[in-house]
Order: sequence, then C-alpha cells, then structure tokens
Amino acid sequence: MSSHLSRRDLLRLAGAAAAVPVLSSCAGAPTQQSAAPGTFTVYWNAGHDYQAYRKVIAEFEQANKVKVNFQKYQWPDLRTRLLADFASGTVPDLVEEPGGWVQEFAVSGNARSLQDYVDRDGAAMGFPSDWQPVTVERNSYQGKVYGVQLHLTCNTLLYNKGMLSAAGLEAPTTWEEFLAAAKKLTKDGVYGVALNQDYTYVWPWLMQAGVTPYDPETGAIMEPVADAVAALQFQADLIHKHKVAPVPVSSTDYSGPQKLFSAKRAAMILTGPWDLEPIGKTSPDIDLGVAPPLKHKEQVTQAAGTSMLVPAKATRPDLSWDFIKRITAIEVEQAATKETGMLMPRVSWAELPEVQSNEATKVFAEALPTAKDSSQQVRLTGQFGKWEEQLKVMYQQVLIQNQPAAEALETFTKAAEGFLK
Amino acid sequence: MRPRTLAGRYARTAYLFLLPAILFFAAFFYLPIGNVVATSLRTGPQADQWAGLGNYTQALGDPAVRHSFLVTVAFAVAVVVGSIVLGLALAMALDQPLKGRVAFRVLLLVPYLTSVAIVGLLWRNILDPELGVLNRLLLAAGLPAQHWLNTSPLLTIAAVTLWQSVGYTMVLFLAGLQGIPETYHEAAKIDGADAWLRFWRITLPLLAPTTLFVSVMAVISGLQAFGQAYIITNGGPGDATDLSVFHIFNVAFRSRDFGYSSAQSVLLLIVIVAFTLVQLRAGRRGEVVY
Repeated sequence: MSSHLSRRDLLRLAGAAAAVPVLSSCAGAPTQQSAAPGTFTVYWNAGHDYQAYRKVIAEFEQANKVKVNFQKYQWPDLRTRLLADFASGTVPDLVEEPGGWVQEFAVSGNARSLQDYVDRDGAAMGFPSDWQPVTVERNSYQGKVYGVQLHLTCNTLLYNKGMLSAAGLEAPTTWEEFLAAAKKLTKDGVYGVALNQDYTYVWPWLMQAGVTPYDPETGAIMEPVADAVAALQFQADLIHKHKVAPVPVSSTDYSGPQKLFSAKRAAMILTGPWDLEPIGKTSPDIDLGVAPPLKHKEQVTQAAGTSMLVPAKATRPDLSWDFIKRITAIEVEQAATKETGMLMPRVSWAELPEVQSNEATKVFAEALPTAKDSSQQVRLTGQFGKWEEQLKVMYQQVLIQNQPAAEALETFTKAAEGFLK
Repeated sequence: MRPRTLAGRYARTAYLFLLPAILFFAAFFYLPIGNVVATSLRTGPQADQWAGLGNYTQALGDPAVRHSFLVTVAFAVAVVVGSIVLGLALAMALDQPLKGRVAFRVLLLVPYLTSVAIVGLLWRNILDPELGVLNRLLLAAGLPAQHWLNTSPLLTIAAVTLWQSVGYTMVLFLAGLQGIPETYHEAAKIDGADAWLRFWRITLPLLAPTTLFVSVMAVISGLQAFGQAYIITNGGPGDATDLSVFHIFNVAFRSRDFGYSSAQSVLLLIVIVAFTLVQLRAGRRGEVVY
C-alpha cells in the first residue's frame, strides 16, 4: 500500500492537466473570421483620427449595418499587433499602414489583392488615374494593386520667418545655402537647424545627392557610394563639426525637432505636414515659413504617407473595399486637409482651393510630384525589416555617435549584401 | 479511487490544491514555451518552413546577437551590483530609528510599483539634453549640461532601472536585517567589535540568503530587461542599448523572422537557467549558520 497517490491517480491528474490547456487552446483557436458578425474592425494610426474620417465611419456604419471597431495604435504597436494577428489567423478587416507594408505583406501573402475591385470600380472612383503615380506603384506587386494610398506626404523645409528675416536671410534652396544659414542662425541658445533621430529622415538627403538605395539588377547598394557618404557626412557635420544642430537623442519619438522648433530653440527643421498642426497649436506666435525641398544634385524629396490594405484572411473584403472607396473620396480628402493640413494623394486634390489658398499646404503640394519612393526595391525582396534595422543603426552611428560616414556605410552595405543576396 | 492511507489522502488533497496552479502554468507558460521551441526549428515570415537547428547555428555565429548579449550582460552586472549595494545601504540607513523612516520606505518603493513605461517616459523627458528638466537645473546651478543618453546610454538605462527597483531590494534587505537577532550584535560589541567588523562578520554573512535571492532576481530581470531599451532609447544610439529581449523583439516584429527570434529566446532561456543554477550553487555554499 502506497503512502502517495497511485500511479493511476497521478496519470489521471497529469492527463487532466495536459488536456485542459490543449482543449482551452483549441477553444481559442483562430476561426478564420476577421471579427464578430456586425463588427468591422479597423486598425488605424492614433494620429489620424480626424473628424472627417469619423463622419465617413458613421455613414459606413449606417449604410452597411455594422459597428466599426476603430482601434488606434502607434505604428510600432500596430505592426506588433498585426503580425501577431497574421500568426493567429484572426485579422482585422482593414489596416492603415505607414508606407512599405503593403508590398511587404503582398510578398509574404498576408495582404489581399484589390485588383478585382479596382477593375470593377476604379474608373468611377478615379483610381488609379487621379492618384499620384508614385502612390500606385508603391502599393502594387506583380502588376496587381494591393493597397490604396490614404495620405501622400513628403519632407521639406520649415523655418521660422522671424528668425530668418532678423538674420537677413531668405529661405535656403541648396545645401550650401542651408549650411550658411544654419551657421548664421546659431546663436543665443538657438540652433540653426534640428535634425531628427529617426533614420527615415535620411532619405531626402540621400535622394538629393542622387543615391539609389538598392538596384536589384546589379545588387548595388547605396550607390554612388561617394555621394551617399557625402550626404551622411554633411548631416553629421551640421551637428559635430559646425555645431549648428543639437545631437539628436535615440528614441521612438520623432517629434524632437518639432518641439525644439516650437520652443524657438531651432530656426529650421526638415519635416512633413504632420508637424504643421502641433507647431500651430503649441506656438501660434511663430510666423511659419515652408520652403521647397533643398537642391543638391537633384531637387527631390521622399514620398511618404499612409495607405490602406486588406489582410488576405479578412472575410469581408467587399466591406473593406467600400470603406476604402468612401474614405478616399475627394470630398473627404478636402475635409481632412481643411481640418488638419494633411496632404492627399489625388492629383485633383492639389487643385482644390483649400490647397492653393494655404501657403504651407501649397508648397507641400507642389513638392509632391518630385517625391520619390525610397525603398520599393528593398521591400520587394521581402527583407525590408532587416534593411530598416541596419539603416537605423548606421544612421545613428553617424549622426549621434559621430562615426565616420564611410566606415558606417561600409558596415551597413556588408550587412545588407548578406540578407539581400 | 479513494486513497487508503491518511498520507495518501493528504497527498491527493495537496495535488488538488496545486492543480489550478499547474493548469495555469501549463496553459500560459509551458505550452507557449513548447510552441516557441517548435517555432525555433522553423523559418520564413510565417515560420512555416523546416529549418532544423539552422536558427541556432545562425544565432551562435551572428555578431549582432553576440553584441546584444554582451550589452545585456553589462547591463545585468550593473543592475545586480547596484541593486545589492544600494539596496543594502538604504536598508541599513532605514533600519535605524530615524524619524519618518516609514515615509522614506514608502517613497523608495513607489517607483517599483510604477510601470516601466511610465518610468521610461518620465526619465526620457527628464534626461533630454535640450528640453529636459535636469539640464535646466544643472545650467541654472552653473554646472555643465549632461548628454548621458548619448554619451553613456547603457549606464543611464541601468541607473534608471536601479532607481525603479532599488526600493524593492531595500525592502528585502530590510526584512533580512530585522531577522538578525540583536543579541549577536550586542555580544560582538561586548567583545570589542566595531561597527565595520560587525557588518562584515555578522550582518553580511547572515544576510547571505537575502543577498542570494536579490542577486538571482536581479540577474534574471537584468537579462530579461526590455522596456528600458524600448521606451527610453529604442535600442540606440546605434545599437548601444540593444538588449537581448529588445533584439529578439525586433527580429520577430520588425525583421519578421519568428523562427530566428524563437531560437534566440530559447538560447536566452538556457543562459538564464545556467546563470541561476550557478548562482544558487555558489550562494548556498557560502551560507552561514550561527
């Protein structure tokens, strides 16, 4: 007679212990449904919850007899959530993405092609004819449309008119003028310029230097290398050599330059329309100037902005498409621009009176046709995430840690060659 | 079947009481760990292609993984040493009959009760070289401005971690100190031992179990640290604060390589278990019984 539980009892207990989690996991297994019936789930950027969009959502709910579950995230959190959803199989009906994910998820099979809807409704809604060409290209894969651009933005020069005119300066147009202006403006605790710690802000400089990020045919990365090094070093020198810009601090926050500008601690920043609203709200006394992108070898800027995609496992793509159609209507773009100053992807949007009559928006709108996509060729390799990780390290090593640009770029190129081959 | 002995009935009752905990751990720990191990043997964006031990061999030869591990070890060492030294010092200070010591204890414990996200945002804003409060105070006092997030980022996030956790270690040491009978100190005093000698020969040896517990917990939490790098520095500048779990997170959710990140997670688990076993063995060997 045993003083402990019998083997059979132990086996029973162990069996029960093992069965419950298995059963519970089965109970919670993905059902391949995107959401509860009657609920339409949207993942959206927290900063894009505009009244203009709320109105569209209300109309969408009424027309389709559904309740929109409008979930707002910061981009990194949205990506984490979405990838977890892809893994579990329970996906939202529609996702706003920050640029680049459409092709990445098209390549991996997680995004649904919208080509059948475009073929059916495209002409009526003006897609793609009324969208800036770059926005259609960056949302297509193997000749099919996988996403529709919601906002089209670009970086250009924002400056404090009062500070520049007090220094007897006009808005700079070239890198040389920019450096000279920054030197003259740096005094009394004010920096001539504030650069961003976020690596994506490197692209306008590289593009203006004529650098091609990646050529899939030759495998060349960041060429011409000498121009890429010069562009990186120019930015580092603004901080460490000329001391006309503060050393940025690495974080997830890309609003550092805007905060310095709003605090009148920086006279110029290179940024996009997303900073117009915070500057206007926090420092209405600043006479804000917006100038076209700087010119070096070329006068170009980076095409940015968000798009919408439908996950491949979303079960109600018809509804998702209806949402896309409604929220990209020219009237909605017009209302959103009026509300926030955001830039939009329709060609006809640039002709709207709200755009033409607004000094800041007009400059951005005029820069949009020169905006180029920075990483499409990399995205199509499916290695975009690794590319971005390496780029962030390289950018911060040069700008923050003052590592020689040539050395940091060489390390980056070697790493990129490893995963792009 | 009803156990025939009293001991058997007791054992059955004990197992029944343990059952909810076993089920909880099975569902939320062991099953996911098993899933991670299975995923670590696969590759691709969906982790659906068999890779065998390929992810493990890749991780062992990956300079980025090695760098992130070294960064993490340096961080953990700073946190462990700081936790023990500061926690013990504070505990000894607050073990004295000071006025308002309860309030001090509570104040020191509050950061530990605060979320790492809040603490991270708080310190990031305080330490911001251009707009942070600290530099304003330093400059107002005629002192040079600090740029610690750029010049010593790893040490800075270790210091923030200590600021947050030292209240907890202080409470543990305080409990340990109060468990040492006063008669030992009185006897030593009569024998002519000064305060320093009493600390080395009585207090410290008798605190060995507490010190062991604090060091084990600090090593584990140091090696698992994530929020500090995620919230305060985003792993930067460059990769200066690329702590292991943050690195693994990025491999999974930025580079989208769940198989590779799972393999790194398993390797980290093995390292943590190994560190813990070594600490426990070494610590128990040094325990003193009076």
